Parts: sequence; structure tokens; C-alpha cells
Amino acid sequence: MLVPINFVEKKPIPSGATMLCGFPDVGLVGVLASSYVISELALDELAYVDSDLLPPVVVLHKGLPHSPMRVFGNSSLLVTIAETAIPARGIQRLMRSFMEWVKSKNTKMIVPIGGIPVQNRQDIEKPEVFGTASSVDMIRFLEQHKLDVLREGYMVGPQALIMRYCAEDNLPAVALLAQSFYNYPDPEAAAAALRQFSTITGVKIDVAKLVEKGEEIRLRARDMMKRTQQELTKMNKGQESDLPLYI
Amino acid sequence: MSSRKRRRSIFDLISDYVEEMESLADDLLSVERPSWDVRASTIQPLCNVSVAQDEVVVTADLPFSDPDSIKIELSDERTLEISAKIRRRVCCEDLGIIHQRGEFSTFNCQTRIPVAVDMKRRTKRFKKGILEVRLPRKKGYEIKVE
Repeated sequence: MLVPINFVEKKPIPSGATMLCGFPDVGLVGVLASSYVISELALDELAYVDSDLLPPVVVLHKGLPHSPMRVFGNSSLLVTIAETAIPARGIQRLMRSFMEWVKSKNTKMIVPIGGIPVQNRQDIEKPEVFGTASSVDMIRFLEQHKLDVLREGYMVGPQALIMRYCAEDNLPAVALLAQSFYNYPDPEAAAAALRQFSTITGVKIDVAKLVEKGEEIRLRARDMMKRTQQELTKMNKGQESDLPLYI
Repeated sequence: MSSRKRRRSIFDLISDYVEEMESLADDLLSVERPSWDVRASTIQPLCNVSVAQDEVVVTADLPFSDPDSIKIELSDERTLEISAKIRRRVCCEDLGIIHQRGEFSTFNCQTRIPVAVDMKRRTKRFKKGILEVRLPRKKGYEIKVE
């Protein structure tokens, strides 16, 4: 029997909004970006995921238990965040259900944010951001915003699945991938990705505090990074560094 | 000095194997141990080991650490211990730990080096709060191809 996945809506979900997705991945770039936007723009919790595919975890906030995967938003922006590593074994079903739910909300554009690990990250002052797109039109959209497009290669993990399902369902999506550490939380990379998010969507986000609080964030994000790394290993995340074979 | 090396006994090999298994078990169990220790006032940093052809590179994420206090030691032939003082006051509450009181003053971690290295020729750098230690690998003996 299939494990049910329910999207419980606590408040009305706006139609035609832009959706930012931040799932645990390399450098926790997406999670840090989502978490910062939710806090900076004081977004309300609109929905949460109820499923046994998620680990037996509740996240306590202000003394109350919450699902580890939630959707926040306002009238024009939705932000999805997972506050625990998504188990590799259930990720495909979870992401497919998530995208079906997103599709039902007539989302204007889906923007998963993540990291792209680079070996010399320590020597990079300003991480570059690369894009991938769900369609030829969205590639043009990235090019119009002067974003470098990753044209060949592999993506692995939550961002990869979102892009695959968006391409299958003809949903407009662009993934923003910032150069990052593989297994260390990277607030600078999250800030770089958010700057690009602001550029392409027009959503104003001041990332100064994210950079200022970098060390504090790195100190607090160690445990989540460690658990995320374990799940990424199970997903064969290392395949992203494989050379693409096109003859 | 002779270039020939003594063959290792079956007992050495078994001992290595047991050590390897214990290390693996430690790694697995360490996930379920907190990454902080109030009694020892220590925080365990994230640490990574990568083995290249000529060297082993160990990195550790040490935010808020005092660069001058960083210590790198081999606690045994294959275990590297990294410690560093935290340059500001970090208490349990700062890390979101509400059910316990205490302060943390030091980063400390031990990590296993999977191959033999020459500690005397190690180099280190500390940039962006991340420590990078490069340990040249000890060379074994060459097998000649005829």
C-alpha cells in the first residue's frame, strides 16, 4: 500500500504566485535561502506536508510542534522549506506529490535554490550562480537575465527532481545553483543565489543580515548539514561531478 | 637502508581490520551522539577527509574560532585531532539548546586518516573560518612491471 502524502492547507494559497523551494542539499544553500526569506519577509505558514515518508520528526517553534516540510507565503510569493533532511528512499514520491500540489495552485514560476559544489570554494570571494531551466523558453529567460546556464551534466537530489517533473508537466521553472561548499553550511552561497532570485523575480530581499550572521548560522547548522550529507550520499550525489557522456 | 619491507603477519592484518570496523562503528554511532558536550565545554565541528594521489586533505569548519589557538595533533598513527578555542562566548541557548545550561569554549574533533601520512611535512591554512590541513602521503614500495 502506498504511503499517503497530504498537503494540509491552513490558509488560502494564492494563485499565480512565484514558488521558491529550499530543500536540504549541498551547503544547505536552499534551506538557508528559504529560511532567511521567510524570516526577512515575515511570511505566514500557509500549508504543511503530512506524510509517513518524512522522518518521525516534529520541529518545535515557539513551543509548538510543526511538520518538517512547510509552505510559507504572502499574496505573490510562496516559499517551501524542509527543516530536516529528506530521506533518500522516499524522495521521488514526495517530490512528485509536491509538484502535483504546486501545479494545482497555478504557480507562475518555480525556483528551486541549491548549491553546486566547487573544490576551491575557500578561495572564491563571490560565489557565481548558475541556472538550469525546465524548457527552452525558460533557458531564454535565464539568458535575458545574463545567468550562465548549465548546459550539460547531471543534477542529483530534490532540485533535480523538481526540474524533471516541471519539464514533464510543462511548468515554468528555473533552478538557481550557487557555487558552494559540499558539506559545510554556506550562507554566502545562499546570499548569492538570493540576489539572483531577486533579479529574476523582482522580489526585493536584502541579504546583508544573511552574510553578517554567517558564522552564527554555520555554527547552528552543523547537525542538519551532517544528516543531509548522509542522505545525499545515499542519493549518489557525487554523480553531479561525473563527466557527461554525449558523443 | 634496505628497500625491502617486512611482510605483514596475518595478526597485523586482522588487527587493522578490527580497527577499521571499530572506526566505522564509531562513525555510525557518532551520528546519534550530540555534536556538543557541555561537561567538556566542547563543540564538535564538521570535518572532512579526502585522499588524493599524493596527499590527504583534512578540513574542518571552525566558525568563531581563534586562528592562533588551532592545534593539530596525531593522537595515534591514524587519528588526527583538531582543536581550537572559540573567540566569543557561546552558550547552550545560542545553539538553540534550551533544556540544558552551559557554555562552550572549544572546538574539538578526531578524525581517522585512512592512509599513512607524514605529519612532519604537514601544511595548514585557515581561511573563511575553515581549517585546511594537507598531509603528504607516505610512499610504499614500488612494484616493478616487467
